[in-house]
Amino acid sequence: MTAAANRRSDAPSSDLYVVLDSEDRISHVSAGLQDELGRWSGHVLWDHLPGARGVYGPCFEEARASGQSVECVVFYAGRVKRLTAIPASDGLAVHVERLVTLDVRTLGTLAESLGEIAEVLGAQEPVQHDSRAPASLRALP
Amino acid sequence: MAVTVMQSPFIVLDEEYTIVEVGPSAEGGFGPLAGQNLWECFPGSECLFRPYYEKARRSGQPEEFVQFYNGHVARIRAEPQGDLLALYWEQLHVIDALTLDALGASIARTIELLDHEQAVALRQETRSSLHVIKGGA
Repeated sequence: MTAAANRRSDAPSSDLYVVLDSEDRISHVSAGLQDELGRWSGHVLWDHLPGARGVYGPCFEEARASGQSVECVVFYAGRVKRLTAIPASDGLAVHVERLVTLDVRTLGTLAESLGEIAEVLGAQEPVQHDSRAPASLRALP
Repeated sequence: MAVTVMQSPFIVLDEEYTIVEVGPSAEGGFGPLAGQNLWECFPGSECLFRPYYEKARRSGQPEEFVQFYNGHVARIRAEPQGDLLALYWEQLHVIDALTLDALGASIARTIELLDHEQAVALRQETRSSLHVIKGGA
């Protein structure tokens, strides 16, 4: 990360981070996220993560608008992650901490990981989602 | 049980559950599988699938069922062919975990498919039992 955001003392220590410019173009990708995002440097993040704007976007917008670090816990692409969006003069640094991964090997592992996901998300702000999901989760073994 | 369209075997197994033939759809999705043990290729699947395969071998009749494994809901037909067992595979649904909304809908669909299959199997079993009872009366 070349950004001033890198020098922020409140930046999480994880190696999973990306820096976005004011138009959400990827200007830097940390080594830990190279496999996932490295090939899209210079591209608009949303062009390569379908449906992600509605999930990540509010956190990014709040950080930019407030000029303060904003933390959120979200679910996207089978994972619950804690995002920390840190605004700086040359971009928005977004740090990612992976909390829970959906395990779809069997119905048992699916149900177990859904329970963990529900627990982590339940500890956060209420999340809008499909009303069929809670009943479905209970129906699994 | 529903008659399904599964034209070419997904894989063919010998008595030891070694994969002896691989269909194009299996090879395309999983790479080279021939010569490997089925349960080693698909960890955690033995308890889910083996009872159906054993039943097919014992009875000498095809066994068809719907199972969830590795994010997929699939209809499988196990067809005994001498000492071999041919498996035909039809994908019915894949878990969509992109967003929470998509995941909720996808799980609902998964449960719907599995519930439907369970109901079909129960009806089939009841019909068979009734047939036996009537035959014995």
